[in-house]
Amino acid sequence: MKKLVFVLFTSLFLFSCDPKAGGIQGPLDTYVPIYASMSEVEQISVEPEKATAIPGKIYAFGNYVFQNDLYTGIHIIDNSNHDAPVKVGFLNLPLNTEMAIKGNYLYANNYVDLVVFDITFPDNPQFVTRVPNVFPPVDQDYPPFTNVYFQCPDKSKGIVIRWEKQDIPVPKCRR
Amino acid sequence: MKKRLFYFLFIPFLFCQCEKDSSEPVKGNVAAGTGGSLARFAITGNYLYSVDENQLKVFDISTPRSPVLKNTKDVGFAIETIFPFKGNLFIGSATRIYIYSIEDGANPKLLSSAISPQVMRRCDPVVAKDSVAYATLRTNGPCGGTQSLLAVFNIKDITNPVQVFTYPVAEPYGLGYKNDVLYVCDKQRGLILFDISDPYKPDPIDVYISDGSYVDVIPYQNTLICWTTTGVILYDITDNRNPVLIKNIN
Repeated sequence: MKKLVFVLFTSLFLFSCDPKAGGIQGPLDTYVPIYASMSEVEQISVEPEKATAIPGKIYAFGNYVFQNDLYTGIHIIDNSNHDAPVKVGFLNLPLNTEMAIKGNYLYANNYVDLVVFDITFPDNPQFVTRVPNVFPPVDQDYPPFTNVYFQCPDKSKGIVIRWEKQDIPVPKCRR
Repeated sequence: MKKRLFYFLFIPFLFCQCEKDSSEPVKGNVAAGTGGSLARFAITGNYLYSVDENQLKVFDISTPRSPVLKNTKDVGFAIETIFPFKGNLFIGSATRIYIYSIEDGANPKLLSSAISPQVMRRCDPVVAKDSVAYATLRTNGPCGGTQSLLAVFNIKDITNPVQVFTYPVAEPYGLGYKNDVLYVCDKQRGLILFDISDPYKPDPIDVYISDGSYVDVIPYQNTLICWTTTGVILYDITDNRNPVLIKNIN
C-alpha cells in the first residue's frame, strides 16, 4: 500500500509541475479577470431565460428544476408539463454556487452573503433579505477551467466576478 | 492496510438524506426540495446547514424570511460536501470524514472523524437507502493504477459502515436511485443503471444512457434530473429501468 501511495503521489506531482505533461496540445486559451465592486456584486435581477454557460448544481422543488450557472446565477426551469419542461427565467445572482429550498423560500449564496427569495411564483423570485458576511469569498483566484493561461487577479481592483476569454500576450498565471 | 479500514476512511460522501429517494411527492409548500449529491447546502427541519472550506454553519430558518446564523463550527480543511442522514450530518472533506449528531439541530456535536492515509483518492457524493449506502470512489487525475468504483456499504451501525461490495466504474460522479434502480454518472461511458433488488449487490442492467457527460442526478418523482457538462437533461423514469429522454436543456 505504501508503495502504491508513493507511486500515485509521484505521478500527480509530475503532472502538476511539468507544463508539457498531461497531453496538452497547441496554444492555450487566455483569460482575464473581470472586476466588480461589492455593490455591483449585490445587484440581483430576474432576467429572461438564456443559454447555460457553465452548468452548476441542480435542485428540484415542486414542479420546478433549478440549475446554477457557475458564478452568475440560477436558471429556472418549469417542469409543470412533464413532457415539455422549459426554461422560464434566470435569477441573476453574482458569484452564486449553492442553493436550497424550503417552503417557497430559496436560500442561496451571493458572494459572502446568504440571500433569501420568495419563490411563491418560482419564475419570478422576489428578494426578501440578505444575511451579510456569513461565507468566505467564493474562490475566484483562477478561471473555472483547466489547461488555460490567465492574468493573475489583482484583488485591489475589486472582486473577480467572471473570467473573459481574450486574446492577450501569454500571461503569467496558468492552470 | 485492511480493506475495510481503507474504505471507511473514504466515505465522506457516503451519506445523504433519505429524501434523496424523491419518489415521495412534495407535500404542500412546507416541504424542502431535493438537492444533488455535491451540495454544500442542506436543509433539514428548521435548519439550513452549510459547509465552506473549513466550517459548518447553522442557520435557523424557523422564520423563513429571516434566517439567523445560530452556530459556526470549525470542522477541518478542504471540506466538500454535507449530507444529513438519520439525525446526523456527514461532512466530507478531501482527506477526512466528520460525523456530527444533530439531535439538537442548532448545536451539531462531533461524534467521530477519520483521517485518510491516501490523499490522492477522493470520493464522490452518494446516496443512502435504509441500511445500505452507495458511494462512488473516483481516482483523481492521472494517478494511474487504482480503480474507480461503485462501493456498497452496510450502514446498520451508522458510525461503522462496512463495505460489502464494489463494482468498477470508469469515471464515476454522482448517483441516485428510484426504488430498485440505481443511477450512476460515469463521465466516460454515460449513465449506468444497476438493479438493486438485492441492495447489497447492485447488478448492472445492460443499459448505458449517453446523451451527454453526466455529473450528478436527482431522481425526482417520475423525472430523472441530470446535471451534464452542457446543462440539464430530463428523463421520464415512470419505468425506472427505461429512462426515456424528455429534453436536453442547455
